[in-house]
Amino acid sequence: MSEFSTIGRPIAFVDAAEKTTGHGKYTDDLSMPGMLIGKVLHSPHPHARIKSIDTSRARALPGVVAVVTGQDAPTTYGILPIGHDEHALALDKVRYVGDNVACVAAVDEATAEKALALIDVEYELLPAWFDPEQSMRAENDFVHENRPRNIEKEYHHTFGDPDKGFAEADYVAEARYIANEVTHAAMEPHSTLAAFELDPHTGKPGRLTVWSSTQVPYYLQHKLSLVLDIPMSRIRVIKPLVGGGFGGKSEVIPLEITAAIAARAAHAPVKITYTREEVFWAHRGRPRTIIDLKTGAKNDGRIVAAAARVIQDGGGYCSYGPVTILYSGALLGALYDIPNVRYDGYRVLTNKPACGAMRGHGTVNVRFAFESQLDEIAAALKLDPAEVRCRNLLKPPCVTVNGLRVLSYGLPECIDKVVAASDWTEKRARPVQASEKLDLKPVSEGHGFSRAEEVSHLCHSERASAREEPAGRNPAADGRRRGVGIACSHYVSGAANSIIRSDMPHSTVNLKVDRDGGVVAYTGAAEIGQGSDTMTAQIVAEVLGCDLARVKVVAADTDLTPIDLGSYSSRVTFMNGNASLRAAEDVKKKIASAAARRLDCAVADVVFRGDKVFRQGAENVARAPSPAVDRPPGAADDVARSSSSAVKAQGRVEGQILRGSVQQKRRNEDEGSRDWMSFEEAVVAAIDFSGALTGTGSYAPPAEARGGQFKGAGVGPSPAYSYSAQVAEVSVDEETGEVTVHKIWAAHDCGRALNPVAVEGQVIGSVWMGLGQALEEEMIWKDGLLMNPGLLEYRSPSAAESPEIECMIVESIDPEGPFGAKEAGEGSLAATIPAISNAIYDAVGVRLREVPFTPERVLAALRAKKGEKKLNMTRDVDPTAPATFPEHGGALCFKGKGPARHPLDVARADVARAPSPAEGDD
Amino acid sequence: MSLPDFQLLRPRTVAEATELLAKHAANAQIVAGGTDLIPSLRQRLFAPRFLIDLRAIVDLRGIRARDGGLDIGALTTLTTIERSPEIAQKYPVLHQAAKTVASPLLRNMGTIGGNICLDTRCLWYNQSLQWRQSCGFCIKKDGDLCHVAPGGSKCWAAFSGDTPPALLCLEAEIEIAGPQGTRRVPLSEFYTNVGDARMKLQNNELLTRVLLPVRTAGWSGVYRKLRIRGSIDYPLAGIAVVLKRSNRHVADARVAITAVNPAPLLVKGVARALAGREVNEEIALQVGELAARTAKPLTTSALTPEYRREMIRVFTKRAVLEAAAIDQSLPRAQPRGPSTVD
Ligand SMILES: Cc1cc2nc3c(=O)[nH]c(=O)nc-3n(C[C@H](O)[C@H](O)[C@H](O)COP(=O)(O)OP(=O)(O)OC[C@H]3O[C@@H](n4cnc5c(N)ncnc54)[C@H](O)[C@@H]3O)c2cc1C
Repeated sequence: MSEFSTIGRPIAFVDAAEKTTGHGKYTDDLSMPGMLIGKVLHSPHPHARIKSIDTSRARALPGVVAVVTGQDAPTTYGILPIGHDEHALALDKVRYVGDNVACVAAVDEATAEKALALIDVEYELLPAWFDPEQSMRAENDFVHENRPRNIEKEYHHTFGDPDKGFAEADYVAEARYIANEVTHAAMEPHSTLAAFELDPHTGKPGRLTVWSSTQVPYYLQHKLSLVLDIPMSRIRVIKPLVGGGFGGKSEVIPLEITAAIAARAAHAPVKITYTREEVFWAHRGRPRTIIDLKTGAKNDGRIVAAAARVIQDGGGYCSYGPVTILYSGALLGALYDIPNVRYDGYRVLTNKPACGAMRGHGTVNVRFAFESQLDEIAAALKLDPAEVRCRNLLKPPCVTVNGLRVLSYGLPECIDKVVAASDWTEKRARPVQASEKLDLKPVSEGHGFSRAEEVSHLCHSERASAREEPAGRNPAADGRRRGVGIACSHYVSGAANSIIRSDMPHSTVNLKVDRDGGVVAYTGAAEIGQGSDTMTAQIVAEVLGCDLARVKVVAADTDLTPIDLGSYSSRVTFMNGNASLRAAEDVKKKIASAAARRLDCAVADVVFRGDKVFRQGAENVARAPSPAVDRPPGAADDVARSSSSAVKAQGRVEGQILRGSVQQKRRNEDEGSRDWMSFEEAVVAAIDFSGALTGTGSYAPPAEARGGQFKGAGVGPSPAYSYSAQVAEVSVDEETGEVTVHKIWAAHDCGRALNPVAVEGQVIGSVWMGLGQALEEEMIWKDGLLMNPGLLEYRSPSAAESPEIECMIVESIDPEGPFGAKEAGEGSLAATIPAISNAIYDAVGVRLREVPFTPERVLAALRAKKGEKKLNMTRDVDPTAPATFPEHGGALCFKGKGPARHPLDVARADVARAPSPAEGDD
Repeated sequence: MSLPDFQLLRPRTVAEATELLAKHAANAQIVAGGTDLIPSLRQRLFAPRFLIDLRAIVDLRGIRARDGGLDIGALTTLTTIERSPEIAQKYPVLHQAAKTVASPLLRNMGTIGGNICLDTRCLWYNQSLQWRQSCGFCIKKDGDLCHVAPGGSKCWAAFSGDTPPALLCLEAEIEIAGPQGTRRVPLSEFYTNVGDARMKLQNNELLTRVLLPVRTAGWSGVYRKLRIRGSIDYPLAGIAVVLKRSNRHVADARVAITAVNPAPLLVKGVARALAGREVNEEIALQVGELAARTAKPLTTSALTPEYRREMIRVFTKRAVLEAAAIDQSLPRAQPRGPSTVD
């Protein structure tokens, strides 16, 4: 039997039935008497000054109750204290096509839409910026006047001595990588319902309640207070079910404030739900990123230095930008042991929707570049790519060169697992010419992990490593060449420093136990589909040794639940889990001291297990005859058990009031035994003793985990890091450039898997999202106009092309995580993209340096490699050596007349120079 | 955006339908499965006063045998077509093409008539009202300029239905009902190849039936579709091939392409290139060249025009080789699903 009873087992989410039957309520499902529908007017221009707004015609339309503009809430806000540059509705300037200008609250959607057409806005066009490298050279017409050269933030970090490192390197690889822009595409569009109560003293709008699809209820409460100028204590934010966030709801989105402004003006509840197009404008996705990367290695594959210059195309507002660009640097050199690192990061403003945090925040695109380059180095040095990774492992406990503390490190085991499961060695093996024989050095010693030899044998195998030209494997029967690629990644388990500097705990959880043994956990954590409510329930049940069905979770309601920073940076299991654990320990202590009196033993000898409380030593004796405790583990069982014991618990409600009857019942059942008592009995004993039975726990990251002192050192440090390794097997159709991913083996070190099925779900979801970014997803722009603002043209993969994903969980048991747990929701994503690109290289010998690897890019690269007739498919952009963008993003270059633009627009000059379309006969 | 205001009319017979059409003509629009029209209404590509919903006309549903060929009612769903054993056996290219449309749910709603009459598509056109406003509209709707072929006065929106190229290869005819009764036209004469006036159908007419001739029954066929996503993706290029063989030689053949022109087009010269010959890689590539030359893709959809045209070449070559390799003497595997009639 496992040492745990509730954690470590696959358990159905506590909200699964609600969601799968359609009973659950998301924000847009809510409605109130007298509720109005809000619709937002958006800017048709990428960069313009608002000269005037006349709303009188709209106001006159029957059914329109209020029209609000920027003047109704002129205070700026932003998710970062250093980036308060947004207005819920534009005040003087619009900065992207889709920027928010005005909002109508009307009796129904159609009326509100009609009213939007009656708002007269006079704009003065300004030159706009679309390409970050052009934007960085701007001398006037800045996106924000106080951001010269349109640079939101730049950071320059040097750790160790990179110049010396490169000088010592035997081999230096250098290349530019480009990752195009992607967005979250969460299923649920943003939605907010805002309602004021009348103030009993003044009769004016008083307390505000906001229901919103958010990952950060407390930040929303804070920003609402700031912009509406209402004390936080008079604002209640409630998060109903959320249909996915992935970072897109991890900051305050304009509609959340706009709904409240409109409700205040209309004296009625207002609901705004974005259309999918508006969701694309709200965006906050992963920025288009240009990475100039240089890595130096010794002949044995050890990395001696890395240098990266990263430019992120951040869009029109700051958002999380400085954090994103810092993560890109902080996590660059911290997966492996790299002694010398230089990082130059630029977050640049352009006239497009703001980028923000997206799953794998900041690390994904740079990881793609780094893991690709590592593969190139392995190829150049004729080493096995898996072995190269093993030669650069950290040796924890340690602190990385940029000050990140690493205690648990399951990466070696992750690599080991995917190498073994994927038949890596066999798949890479192929006949070698006698002349290709190489003089291989032995593996460097001292990885400090047990299975070093298992992987290092690869290194001695000439078959595996001596591969001059990868594209030599014979095509399979279907005419496609197959290949395998490996890559690794890692991610934080929450940020050790919160974005609003303070010493406040990052998470707090309150518990209340009722007389019938029902446990209520009050947590501020925002369940967004990742399973945080289930995690809280599991941890509480585990600590109290009670049935999971006893635990009810009340979450993310700022009036009821204590503060939690929110669901982002994979912080919830680690931080809120620790708070839940501490709250449960607090309650457990109180129950134990009451129980100890009854069981006639020391408090330390009271054991909580199987929904009972035992005197130590008695639990094994007492367990046997009780069918309620002795049940086999397993997912289906657990689900069944939760519901059946819920019924059982209900049957005992008598004890809630008449504790005597419970005791009576017990005595009859189990005459004379004083070795144990039921959980309710123990609870009743404690409540009798102390009145109310409540407990509190909170968590703040330890000082040692908070990183260095340099400027920007606050981002990157985390109490613990997750690790991933993946192998992808792909085949490439050389005539069409189509890439098929056949299988992905994904190993993820999540510390301890509290709920293995939830961990697998997160890993598979991450891989799948990475697959989308690798092969299909890309936001395509023409002069600031998003060409694919919908899920038909913005292509997330469908089930049809999703490969088998074999997920392997590695449990490194972190010393500070709750029961040893770390993050599982984001870390795997970043490995998928380079694993696929490395597999493409293995299959057909082309190195793609621009994501996504759409068929046209792959084919263009294949043609170039073979010296075949050049087809200008990607319009002068070589996906193996991308330089910049011929237009303003994407491989798809839209020639022709776009939207009306300012004559001085840099983009216009570009269009004039663009090569003529390759239309016509050949 | 919400749907525009309209009045829904539900005729029960073709005669009632033509009467209503005659009455409301320019103010009315036909809706069948609605999978193409409804999203467009939300985008304000249309705002008709009357919607004439054909779904109550029972006569227009189902597949019937006729003179060795098949009649397919315009309201027959793509799912019905996909599951029809007769179609899979006699006209495999249509079976294959129907199977690739959209997704199973959309095929349950979408009809063959709607697929034939599908509006042409363009990234500058299939966008919300607000989006189109931002770029000053386009020649197909509300504007006077084309964004994909600047300076031109022709609309290049691409016809992106999957089944019409198959139907063209099969030499299908369509039956059209109007105030003067019904007329039959070869499908090949139905399309105009002009993006903003895609078909020769008066606003008081409707399509009632698709007629598949006995002549092409039993020809082997292959449909190939270029798409990025494995499901729920319009064709970015599509090609249909049918072959009739006598012994090892090709007796007759057709190739048609879709999604790369404002109309689905039969490729000229295919029968000449293939007739009397044994198909090999080289000949198949020649046919691919013919198809690529017929294709005039522009930036109306994802993937560059150059790439899409190149794929017409490659896909055609492959489809010709594949169609030639199919043994026509063997009975084809039965598709799943029992019903032939809606
Ligand atoms: C997400 C999505 C993906 C799609 N993917 C594909 C795809 O891959 N391939 C593809 O081919 N299609 C695709 N479609 C389009 C559509 O689903 C199909 O083409 C379907 O067959 C259209 O039929 P319908 O009955 O729904 O047409 P409707 O929407 O009812 O009608 C379409 C047009 O035809 C006209 N019309 C319909 N019936 C008649 C008639 N009997 N006489 C005269 N005019 C008529 C209507 O007035 C309208 O203009 C997709 C649609 C969606 C929403």
